[in-house]
Order: sequence, then C-alpha cells, then structure tokens
Amino acid sequence: MVSTLVAQAPEATVLSDELRAAIDREIARFPEPRGALLAALRLVQDELGCIAPPTARAVAEIFGLHPAEVLEVLSFYNLFHTEPQGRHEVRVCTNLACSLRGARTLLRELEEHLGIRAGQTTPDGRVTLGHEECLGACGYAPMLRIGDRYHEELDGPAARALVDGLP
Amino acid sequence: MPTITVDGRRLEVPEGSTLLQALDELGLLMNGVDVPHYCWHPKLSVDGSCRLCQVEIEGVPKLQIACDTPVADGMVVHTTSERVQRAREGVMELLLVNHPLDCPICDQAGECKLQDYAVDYGLDHARTREPRRPGRKRVELGPTIVFDEERCILCRRCVRFCREVPETGELVVENRGDRSRITTFPGTPLDNPYSMNVADVCPVGALTTRDFRFKVRVWDLDEVPGLCTGCSKGCNVHVGVARGAVQRYTPRRNDQVNETWICDEGRLSYREIGAPDRITRPAVRDAEGRMQPVSIARAIERAAERIRAAVLREGPAVVAALASPHATNEDLTELRRLLDGIGTATSGAAVVEGEPDGLLLQAERAGNARGARDLGFGDPGLVFEKIRGGGVRVLLVMGRDLLAEPFLGGTDPLASLDAVILLDTHRSALEQVADVVIPGRMLAEKGGSMTNHAGLVQRVPAALEPAFDAHAEGAVLARLRAALELVLPARSEGAA
Repeated sequence: MVSTLVAQAPEATVLSDELRAAIDREIARFPEPRGALLAALRLVQDELGCIAPPTARAVAEIFGLHPAEVLEVLSFYNLFHTEPQGRHEVRVCTNLACSLRGARTLLRELEEHLGIRAGQTTPDGRVTLGHEECLGACGYAPMLRIGDRYHEELDGPAARALVDGLP
Repeated sequence: MPTITVDGRRLEVPEGSTLLQALDELGLLMNGVDVPHYCWHPKLSVDGSCRLCQVEIEGVPKLQIACDTPVADGMVVHTTSERVQRAREGVMELLLVNHPLDCPICDQAGECKLQDYAVDYGLDHARTREPRRPGRKRVELGPTIVFDEERCILCRRCVRFCREVPETGELVVENRGDRSRITTFPGTPLDNPYSMNVADVCPVGALTTRDFRFKVRVWDLDEVPGLCTGCSKGCNVHVGVARGAVQRYTPRRNDQVNETWICDEGRLSYREIGAPDRITRPAVRDAEGRMQPVSIARAIERAAERIRAAVLREGPAVVAALASPHATNEDLTELRRLLDGIGTATSGAAVVEGEPDGLLLQAERAGNARGARDLGFGDPGLVFEKIRGGGVRVLLVMGRDLLAEPFLGGTDPLASLDAVILLDTHRSALEQVADVVIPGRMLAEKGGSMTNHAGLVQRVPAALEPAFDAHAEGAVLARLRAALELVLPARSEGAA
C-alpha cells in the first residue's frame, strides 16, 4: 500500500559539516545507504561521546529512517551509549573465564574504590565503570579494558592503580 | 502451478508462494490444515521469529518453518506428525517461559492465540523454577494503545504493521536477547490514523485498545458481520454486541476491500450507534409550533397530509427529496418508488467530502454514496437551486449532510417551505425547521446492502435492535407511499 501518512518532521541537532561529510563517505561505500548506519553511528559517538535522542533523530534524518529504527540499532549494541559517559570507560569482563578467576570480586572492589556502581560515572566525570561480556582474552583472565586498551592478569591492587592513574 | 502434498492431500499451489501463504490462499489454513502461528500474518512481511509453524518436509532432515519455506513441485509436507507435535510443544513451552499467566485479568482472554495453542500444545505445568521476567504492565504507547510488556511474545507483528501499512514506523524492538522489548522513540508515540490495528494483529494480550480495554468480556459479545459506514470504502467489520449495545468494531478480513485493516476513525464510528443524540421518537409540529411526540403511524399520516396538500395545490413538482448517502440500497429504492409514485424527479444526495488518505479512507464520507448515485440520487445542486428559487413546497430530507458548508450551510433556506419531513438517525438543526421528524436506524440496526466506491455491493444482516421505537427508513417510506397511493389523484388517474 502507498501511504500519505508520513511521520512528523523531527527537530534534530545539527551534526558538524566534517562529521556529515564523513558519514556521506561511508554511505557511498554501501549499495544501500542504511548499510552505513553502524559506521555512521560510530563516527557520531567518537565525536560526541554518546548518541542522545536528538542526535539519533539527526542521524535518522540523514538515512531517511524513523528515529525508532536508529534506537533499535543503538540499543542492540552495548558499545553504543545514549547517555554521556566519563572521560575514561573502564569495563571489566565478567564472562565465564574471567568470573572464575575473580572478575566479579574485582568489579566490586573497583565499585567500592570509586564510590560508584557499575553503569555509573564518577561525579567528576572522570571514569565510567561497567562490566562487559567476553572480550576474547580468556587466557589472561581476569581482565578489563579502558577505552580501546586491554589490561590483563589483574588483581585488586593492580586494577585500583590503573584506575587511579587515569588523568 | 506446482503441486504439493500436505497431510496426504494433493494441492495445486501458486508458484513462488510460501507454504503458509499457499494454504491461506486456498482457504485451508486453520480450516482443514492446522499450522499454528504467531508471527506470520497474511498481510505483513515474513518474520520467522515465533518458530511455531514448523512442519516436516520429506527429504529435508530438519523441521522447516512453513511461513518462510517456498513451495516446490512435488513437495510432501506433514503437519500432524509426532515430530511436529513435539516441536510445537517445545516452542510453546519457551514462549510461555516468562508469561505472567494472568488470563483472569487479561482482556485478550477468550480470543487469545496463546490460550488457544496452550490448550492444544502446552504443558499443564511449568518446568522452570526461575522467577519470570518482570515487565512494565501499563505502558501507554500512544493515545490509543496500552502495552503490557509481560504478555508480549515479541512476534513483531505490530512493528511490521507500523512500518508496512501506515508506513509510520513508530514501534521497534529495543535491546536484544531476554531484554528485548517493544517500545517507541522518546517523544514520538504510536500515533497514526491506523494505530489501533496493532491490537488486532497482536496475537496475545500485550496490545489492547484504550477504547475496548476492560469494557466487556469477549465471550459475552455476539459478533455479527457488518460494514463500517464512515466513508465509501465499505470496510468489513465484526460488530461486537453485548448488553444491547455495540461495544466495538473489529476489522473483518476482505481482501477485495480492506484486507484485514480499518482506520481508527472508522473503528470508533460504532459510537454513533449508541450516541446520546440519537433521534428516538417520532414527532410532529403542533399549531403553536412546538414539536409533539406522536406515534409513528401519526407521523407518517402527517407527512402524507403535507405531501398530498402540496401536490393537490401546486402539482407533484413542488415535492423534492434529499436522499441519505448513509441509507441502504433498500431504503433508497423505497425512496425512489415513493418519488416515482408522487411523480416528482427533484432529488439528489448531499455527500460530505474530506481528504482521502491513500490507504482506506475515501474522500466521500458516507457508506453508500455510490449506491445513492447508482439509484439516481446524484448532485443535489439542482434541488438546492430550486429550494432557493421558491420552486419547492415540501422537502423530504433523509440525513443531515445538507447542513454542511458546501451545501446549504444551515437551515435558513428551508424556513420558507411549507413542510420539511425529516427522516434521520441523529439530532441536528434540521429539527428546528421540520414539520415531521421520524427516527431512522443505523446499518447495524437494520441490515441491508451498500455499494462501495468501487461499485461492490455488500449485504450485511442486522446486528441489534435499537433501544427505542425506530423503523428502517425503507419501511417508513413504504408506509408513506401506501398512505399516499390511496388518495393521490394523479397516481390513480394514471393507473386507470
């Protein structure tokens, strides 16, 4: 059926010209524009730190999608964030191998040390603490990642020292 | 066309269709060949998520989902084998793993596929001891729909409906795995002119309409085939009647007309039937100019007196009629016979128009506008011209559409007539100028046929009796004709 019931035009945040150009380059690489959605969302998050609803609307507009369809993709991947994150993202792997080697204790210790729960950000905006499923470093369990870097074969003092060393 | 064998029956099936599609098109699905399914819907794209429609195909090692398996010539399918039965039981157990089992307080109970298939394929006990996943119980997805997350089986029919039919796409599944849930984008609720169809496609009690929620138990409803009369599309509906009133319309599948859908406006138009502004008793204007309730016989008698007097004094041409495009073909045929009997040709039908929406809603906002035209009640312009020019003394009015702006825009032009005879269902300003008022019936109260915009004539039975003394317009007009034929000289001379 052909419909005339078009969703209302959303109010959207403006993405920078550079970001917009980078997204267009990604779109050009795919036969279907929406194939570039994941790549575009990564670019947006790298620049803005998170993809809040108004940003998701702006991305949806570029791709001609309903904003809810962007939400669907955002919520499927836990590496996307819809809320602002701390300057450093500390994620402790709590999958099987790491848990067997004390990852959950490690995470609890970091929670206590930072005074926040997993999923929260320190009041000074320095660290967001969280857990993560398997990061493929089972031979070096327990481990965590800070941003894109892995830190392996940790214990409580080592993990605390790592976190304390973050600027 | 490929030939396949299903449970020993040889079937010729359409090339390129899937198994479920083929069974549906042959009218066999759940009607001879039972392949239970949740996510598959005949008018939506294939999802393949519920896994309930698995069947056994000879030569294929694993069971296949019938909704996404294309037919092939010579295919031999078994839908009732032990393997299939066990697979269905397994799927049902998983679908029910987090179900809250709140049927006693669920509005879907009685028309719930989860209940139906649980009876056929479900265990009578749970093998899980883990707590059931809690969910939000009363999420208002938009102005028309309430969502119960715990009952949702994530078949995504509602998601696909919004994307594929109104093409508004408000609903999505967010997160994944056991955190998946139906939701909307923040600040963009489910709000489109077809939104309530998601409650129909929902096979369980997760999506319910605010209109019908907790109003009546569905097993107390008599569901009678009917038509929506809101526009000239003629969408097929089930008229749900309980406690002497229409409680809801739900769309009735007709692939020629409305497929399985209905617009929200049409769905809610059942409210007109039980509306407080129905005309409930016949009345005539007394010598002091006040309306006095009378019997229907007396009202018809008064109408006949008015027509007779005008015809005797000035000839039949001073009698005019405005036919209702909401009346049935049977009503309008009686009106035509009456006008022929009187000997006047001054008639038409005022049809209010609006914007069509490109889906179901048509420009003409009357169920039988086409039928009225087919019976000779066309453009009412000449009637209005004649009224304004003083050439009409008695006007028989069915319906109040002539009050709308493109037509008379009010009752002023009618004030100078000898008599306005009003035959209508709902109160309006016409009562102020009417000499005789006779209540009519809505389609659901009388049955009959209407001709839709494309010329399709559809007949439905009556679904209920009105709570007051009203007769079908056709019956009233037949009695009026009987009252006139006895005395009209022009008619008796012509017959002699």
